[in-house]
Amino acid sequence: MSPLRALWLRVSTRRWFTPLAAVAAAIAMLAAATVLGIHNESVHRTEKFQQAQVQAEILAASLAAPLAFDDRAAADQYIAALRLDANVEAVAAYDVSGRRIAGVAQPGLGLPEEAKPAAPRIEGNDLVITVPVLQGGTRLGTVYLKTAMETWTRRAARYLGIALLVSMAALLIAVLGYSYASLSHAHRALREEIESRKSAEEQLRQAQKMEAMGQLTGGVAHDFNNLLMVASSGLDLMERTSDPAKRERLKDGIRQAVERGAKLTQQLLTFARRSPLHPEVIDIAERVRGMDAMLDRSLREDIIVRLDLAPELWPVEADPSQLEVAILNIALNARDAMADGGTITIVARNMPCALADRSDAVCLAISDTGAGLEPAMVEKVFEPFFTTKGVGHGTGLGLSQVYGFARASGGEVRFESELGKGSTVSLLMPRSLKPRPVTAAPATMPAVATSEERKVLLVEDDGNVADLVAQMLQELGFSVERSDSADAAIQHLRRTSDYDVVLSDMVMPGKLGGLDLAQEIRRGWPKLPVILMTGYSAAAASAANEGIRLLVKPYRIDALAREIDAALG
Amino acid sequence: MAELTHTHHAILRGLVLFAATGVALARPAALAVAAPQVPLEYAVKASFLYKFAPFVYWPSGALAADGAFNICLSGENAFGSVLDQEVSHEAVNGRPIAVRRISSARDVPACHILFVGKSAHAKEMLQAAAGNPILTVTDRDRGEAGGIIEFILRSGRVRFAIDANAARANRLEISSKLLDIALSVSGR
Repeated sequence: MSPLRALWLRVSTRRWFTPLAAVAAAIAMLAAATVLGIHNESVHRTEKFQQAQVQAEILAASLAAPLAFDDRAAADQYIAALRLDANVEAVAAYDVSGRRIAGVAQPGLGLPEEAKPAAPRIEGNDLVITVPVLQGGTRLGTVYLKTAMETWTRRAARYLGIALLVSMAALLIAVLGYSYASLSHAHRALREEIESRKSAEEQLRQAQKMEAMGQLTGGVAHDFNNLLMVASSGLDLMERTSDPAKRERLKDGIRQAVERGAKLTQQLLTFARRSPLHPEVIDIAERVRGMDAMLDRSLREDIIVRLDLAPELWPVEADPSQLEVAILNIALNARDAMADGGTITIVARNMPCALADRSDAVCLAISDTGAGLEPAMVEKVFEPFFTTKGVGHGTGLGLSQVYGFARASGGEVRFESELGKGSTVSLLMPRSLKPRPVTAAPATMPAVATSEERKVLLVEDDGNVADLVAQMLQELGFSVERSDSADAAIQHLRRTSDYDVVLSDMVMPGKLGGLDLAQEIRRGWPKLPVILMTGYSAAAASAANEGIRLLVKPYRIDALAREIDAALG
Repeated sequence: MAELTHTHHAILRGLVLFAATGVALARPAALAVAAPQVPLEYAVKASFLYKFAPFVYWPSGALAADGAFNICLSGENAFGSVLDQEVSHEAVNGRPIAVRRISSARDVPACHILFVGKSAHAKEMLQAAAGNPILTVTDRDRGEAGGIIEFILRSGRVRFAIDANAARANRLEISSKLLDIALSVSGR
């Protein structure tokens, strides 16, 4: 932005600016009106001059014969005609020798005894014009015409009306300016109000999300317990056996358990991420698959989740995180409807002309094999605070979120239920004709261990994690120096900076976080690549915004190798 | 004699009228010095005589490019030398004015304005001018009648009548300004 534009923006948004601008405009208008008035006055004066001159010349032409032949009666007649003009104060005819032949003057005004042609002159407030009377080249006399220039008061009277109008207009501008200023003030207040409402809504959405997720807690803890059980019993058994085949099997089991846990954690973190409402073109199947671990592992043990997603689904346009919250809410309702376990089936199909306005839709139907609802209750399910659950088991806001999401996305939601057989919630999302976003296929670069000795600065506050990562790095052929905070890392780099890459945690104690460290290094040691690692998705998003390489915890050694290779170019 | 007395009374009345209204005659100073013996009436007529010129348009060719503008007087000379003095500083369309006294009809064609005074040849003179671009002037009350312009005394003031037919016959065009102040215009 240019400094001039910045100044304009700063000044124009001030409260006093608009009324002041209006007053300036009003003053400018008054000034323009004054200038115009003065110009008019000068034009008027010139015209008046010409008018008097013409009057005198017409009279002179008429008076030629009366003057030549001393016909006073005719001369008086012609002169009397001019008396009708109120501006004419005195008019007279003089013969060739300069003697007055005829003339009239308004009461109280005299006539000169003699007159000869001369240049027009101003006498006080009067214009005096003398023109020769000529006939066929012979001079026969002189006409004298004294006409009143407008007096100051008459001129003022003439301009008073205009001045009044201009003043009223100026006043109007000032008043409008003032009211505009107060209006724009109100507008700003309104916008602030809208902003605060938006943020309140965002908080509400987040709260709904967290509420839905909160209902998973039991299931998640249970699942993790199982995973830990697999891991710890696997390790116990490994210690007791020396059979390599058996150890290999146990290792696989442990690894699978850890990977499953990692996937679940990842999905939960992604789900909980605070994200602004932002509709985009999405593939419903892809989104549902992205939630599989969360749905399958954390609902309840006695519930089976079956996915039936048609290939080549049409894209839809919706806010992805709201879609995920809606799916989870429906799934949670389904879980609660099946107290003794059952199956949740998630079906996604293209449905041409399915919406009320005959447009195409993608239908996402989530069915359970639970208790179902009585027909009387069916029509109430989308009402806020309607719940069939006992106190402390649900707020009744779950399906109302689903309904709100469907309406906001231009879609519909249908609910079918049969007592004792189960319920189906169908989310109909309008087909989007926009192109499907291109999802970048994950790069599959081979992990190449380098033979030459390279140095890595590892910044990590958790000692256990640091030890493990250091071991992985050594496996990959790097020598590792460790700092336990970003501040320490920067001090370390000031002493020696001959590292090939810096690998840093994001959330650490101390003044600086991993992101600050990365920015500091970018400034101080621009050639030194930085890789951040985190399990916290909000931090991950901010790192991605900054364009910094990122490893999402937990990661495996080959992912680490790939990322370092990419960073080293 | 009785007629003469009447005439004098008329002139006197005219003079009183002039004085009372404060209207001065043209060049009174010249009149006072040069022609004390010429009555005011004739002095006025003399000045009218050359002042007709700017209000009358002669056909092209009637006025010689470099010649004088001739005012001819025939018959009884009532003007004395007043006219000669009056016109000595005047001009018609840039031409000097010459005053000629003629006694023969042969001299008529050279005239531009012809005043026909009382004389035995008056008719002859007027006939000689007829059809030629000559403005004939006569004095109805004190001499001959029949000119294109005839002086008439009215209320002690010198006025005139115009015979527009005769003017047309002589191929003269008379300004409407002059016609406007004429006492009467015949054949308009």
